[in-house]
Amino acid sequence: MSETPRVVQIFLKRPMIRVALFALILSVMITSHLQITLSRLGNASSNLKVIAQEAWPPDFSVVTDRASWAYPPCELQTDWMCSPAVVGMTQTLEIAFLATVLGMILSLPLAAAAATNLAPPIVAQSIRQFLAALRVLPSLIWALIFVILVGIGPLAGVLAMTMYSVGYLGKLQYEALEGVSREPLEVARTMGLPRWQVARFFAIPEAANSLLSQMLFMFEYNVRHGSVVGLVGAGGIGWYMHYYLEPFKLYDRVLALIIVMYVVVIVIDQVSLRVRSRFIDDEPMRPKWKQVFLPWVDD
Amino acid sequence: MSEQVLSVSSADIGFDAGEPLIERVELSLGEGEIVGLTGRSGIGKTTLIRTCAGLIPALSGNINFAGESLDSKARGDVGLIPQRLGLIQHQTVGYNVLMGALPRAKWYQSVFSLPSSEMREATRKAVEAVGLQDKILTSVNSLSGGQQRRVAIARAMVQNPKLILADECLGELDAETAKDIIDLLRSLADRGTSILIVDHNPVRARTFCDRVMQLRGKRLVVLGDDEQEATPALPVLRRPEQ
Repeated sequence: MSETPRVVQIFLKRPMIRVALFALILSVMITSHLQITLSRLGNASSNLKVIAQEAWPPDFSVVTDRASWAYPPCELQTDWMCSPAVVGMTQTLEIAFLATVLGMILSLPLAAAAATNLAPPIVAQSIRQFLAALRVLPSLIWALIFVILVGIGPLAGVLAMTMYSVGYLGKLQYEALEGVSREPLEVARTMGLPRWQVARFFAIPEAANSLLSQMLFMFEYNVRHGSVVGLVGAGGIGWYMHYYLEPFKLYDRVLALIIVMYVVVIVIDQVSLRVRSRFIDDEPMRPKWKQVFLPWVDD
Repeated sequence: MSEQVLSVSSADIGFDAGEPLIERVELSLGEGEIVGLTGRSGIGKTTLIRTCAGLIPALSGNINFAGESLDSKARGDVGLIPQRLGLIQHQTVGYNVLMGALPRAKWYQSVFSLPSSEMREATRKAVEAVGLQDKILTSVNSLSGGQQRRVAIARAMVQNPKLILADECLGELDAETAKDIIDLLRSLADRGTSILIVDHNPVRARTFCDRVMQLRGKRLVVLGDDEQEATPALPVLRRPEQ
């Protein structure tokens, strides 16, 4: 009986190689099960070519022309301030901001009740299940539900993003609270303080920098997903994209809106990165507020 | 004889009833007494302190506070200074010291974060007493180790407990800084607060403690006078004659 070649033996002994082989085999099986074929990818490329031809060059009239059909109606006199890009992006930012603030207010007490180092195990487990249930539905499905409940418009977007923010932020927050040093909490318990005071005055301040960082991350996330919930009528720039896509198929205008959104998201990412650094980094790495908002200006 | 603040009798300490870290602990602290606890690293000193604080249940035996069960102690009666001090990092000296006043805050003062003028005044006095008045708005993580210990002691001063459990709060401080901290602890004891302090350095412990106990193997024993005399005290730490 022939022996397994030595090179193969060496490879199989390495855990990373075994894991990679397992992942490869599993990927091939899944591809087969989902009936993913190269011919279908070929069709996609031809469709992409058609869309690209129709989308290029982008039509930036969406930044200059007034959107008379904007909802809520734009009352400003200047046309570009009532353009689909400006109105849509402003709405998206407003929805993201409100949803993040509401999400933070609602999720923080829930997270404290879900942290195993702050709450009794039975309470912590129950709240965790509740937060998990909120996360089961993506923000798009929440948006569909709220469009049915409260009608088309930004309110549905705010409610949808808030629900998702509570579930998502809640999980991040209880993990941050569970990660705080044991000793300040033991000081508080030895004093005989009730659980809510231990959380309010010791655990939350100890984790404050992480919590603020997570809030900023959630705002970024909500801005990006603001376009998605708009597609089902929950306000924001996505609603204007949907207006151009169905039934007009004005891909050049949609591309212009995507570019506007990309630029705004990049700016928010950069500012958010510096704000987070302001909260998280210790001296001397911590940037000053001026460096956060005006990084190109020298001291 | 002064009132017994803490009394531990026949208590097994640890996490596993089958194999306790410390067996049949007998320990008592009178009012205003400082008792030192020494022993090599990993022997169970911190576990004993946490058990006396009510954070870990004793495996057997009794732990009483002022003659009652430890669970029935009033809010703020016991203060803890853990090994790493338990300060809230990124918060100011003032915030950390003010936390000592929380046990006597009324519900609306804590709900709305509105400390009374009495709480603020107590905080200001304690910060002054430890010599950090010019650092009251400074974040504690930018302070030195000695200054952080002062903050922890100021928090205990504001709390004004009947018993302080201090776990290695002298750490590896230099002799001068350690003396300052010891003086602060002594001033607390003079006000009637009992202190159980862990110090890995028995030489230093006997210079400022009324009694020194040592963990040997699984037993807590009183360090005898002859053993105490066998190790010369550092002059800078010697307790002033009463």
